[in-house]
Amino acid sequence: MNLAQQLINGLVLGSGYALIAIGWTVLLGAARLVNFAHGQLYMLAAFIAWAAMAHLGVNYFVAVPIAVLALGLLGIVLQGMMLRLVMQQNLTSLMIVTLGFGYLFQGGAARLFGGNPERFISPLQTSEIRFGDIWFTWQDVLTLVCTLLLFGALWLVLNRTRLGALVRSVAEDPKLAQLFGINATLVYIGVFVFECAAVALGAGLVAPRSPILTSMGFDEVILTFVVVVLGGIGSVVGSLVAGFGLGLFTALFGALVSPAYTTAAAFALLLVVLVARPRGLGAR
Amino acid sequence: MKALATPAALILAALAYFVPSVAGGAPVVYAACTSIAILAVMAYGADLILSYLGEVSLGHTIFWAAGGYAASMLAVNAGWNGWQTAGAAIVVSLVLAAALGLATLRTREFVFSLVTYAAAVVAMEVAFNWPFLGGSDGIVGVPPLELTLFGHGINGAGDAALWPVAWALLMLTLLFIERFRQSRLGTSALMVQMNPDLAQALGVDARAVRFLVFVTSAPISALAGWLYAYQRAYVGPDMFESYFLVLMLTAIVVVGRRLLLGPLIGTALIIVQQTFFSIGGDGDKIVLGAVLAAILLLWPKGLIGLWDVLRRPPASARSPTAPARRQ
Repeated sequence: MNLAQQLINGLVLGSGYALIAIGWTVLLGAARLVNFAHGQLYMLAAFIAWAAMAHLGVNYFVAVPIAVLALGLLGIVLQGMMLRLVMQQNLTSLMIVTLGFGYLFQGGAARLFGGNPERFISPLQTSEIRFGDIWFTWQDVLTLVCTLLLFGALWLVLNRTRLGALVRSVAEDPKLAQLFGINATLVYIGVFVFECAAVALGAGLVAPRSPILTSMGFDEVILTFVVVVLGGIGSVVGSLVAGFGLGLFTALFGALVSPAYTTAAAFALLLVVLVARPRGLGAR
Repeated sequence: MKALATPAALILAALAYFVPSVAGGAPVVYAACTSIAILAVMAYGADLILSYLGEVSLGHTIFWAAGGYAASMLAVNAGWNGWQTAGAAIVVSLVLAAALGLATLRTREFVFSLVTYAAAVVAMEVAFNWPFLGGSDGIVGVPPLELTLFGHGINGAGDAALWPVAWALLMLTLLFIERFRQSRLGTSALMVQMNPDLAQALGVDARAVRFLVFVTSAPISALAGWLYAYQRAYVGPDMFESYFLVLMLTAIVVVGRRLLLGPLIGTALIIVQQTFFSIGGDGDKIVLGAVLAAILLLWPKGLIGLWDVLRRPPASARSPTAPARRQ
């Protein structure tokens, strides 16, 4: 095993995990909403970008923003429908509703895009960089840079701006925030739109690594689960650390122990942590 | 009223037995009825958690699959009969539920759901990769179900032959759920869900109640999986598919939570749609997902909520196990 290569792989995987997870982390932190359609949103974004390239003939760098925009709009629609339950904080029903949405998207996408694996190709995926026997692609570099930029920008917005203060106050106590004249409805919609747009960006950058399927759904993003919970509910920095940590863990576990059981090992790790600390590692 | 309840229930149960033959007795009818009974029993396992604890367990596919795997492996490899494999299914599911129940003892709400989901993912990956459990091929060639008592009973395969067993299992499950609703555990569970402070003041140990309800629910889904293995003569990692999870949850919420017959009617509606009014596999997914989301968004109480709208003021003779909802 080439340790340096595995570390690179871990960083590449980890930046993908963190990027796909970030929208969910923010949503969970601000609205306490678990979106079980997250994986299907990822799938939809990948297919929208693919369809834009295959049918509209646009190039990759236009297709990804189209997917981000489309998912953002979808986010407004979805959150609009769920608003009553969100305002009641009826979390049990919301979780089940998002499971229903996910199933709906999966069936709908299979109808719309067909059941065959498609190749969603980024031009950067094939341009490799080599240092001796270590290699990675420009797509990996782009993913890493975008992840760091997005996390940095998000941290600044949440912690250093008026907008961030609004989101944090609604997260802390929605009723009290409303008493102070904050429009919690708008904050919830904004947060949900951010989740959808962020997962679309994640799909645009990460999905080109392998063929895409309408049935991939949760399996593709299942590890972001671990990132969200391990990083601590709603913690931006925690998610970034957890994302990279999990990336390194997966790369090393896959290389050293067994690639087949990597997901199971990551979840076993999550179970152990949750038994010890039910609110996640980053919990206050 | 109350004195008539038991005979009425017995008559309904007996009538239910003749549903497939009255409906024409065609193979597809038997297949649908047997599937409804099996999948309804599966849903009742998750119903115990969702309706009475108020939590969403996303891990009941584990118990469902555990029952199926226990039955097929022991029937195929050791030649065990139906009683023995059923006993094994119960024991295996109890052990798994106890382990998962302990792991989730301190978790609530979405963390509970995430952990149970995580456990299901781990279980699926293990089933998919472990040659002992048949790996991705699963276990094929499950023999006909051999279930005899005092020299009588069935030794059969196929939906028509399995219908009496499926019917009996469903009736036993209904009886069990009804007893559970009136039991100390059932009422304690509701109290813990509705008013945790009151429960604590009355000396109810919330964690113990949650743990016991979780463990109690597992063998129900496991026995459904047990019969499913004989119905299909095959088990595989597809028992962990989200189809079963979505089906369980939809069946529970579509009619209304905390109703004895709710999950059965819900399952029947879904399976009848998928058997007789199917619009293709993907189309059925759209229907199932849309129904699940729409019910909770429009009538959070389920279809029974429509009844409340039609009948005002609400009936005073509410069942004691259906108190007002939280919030």
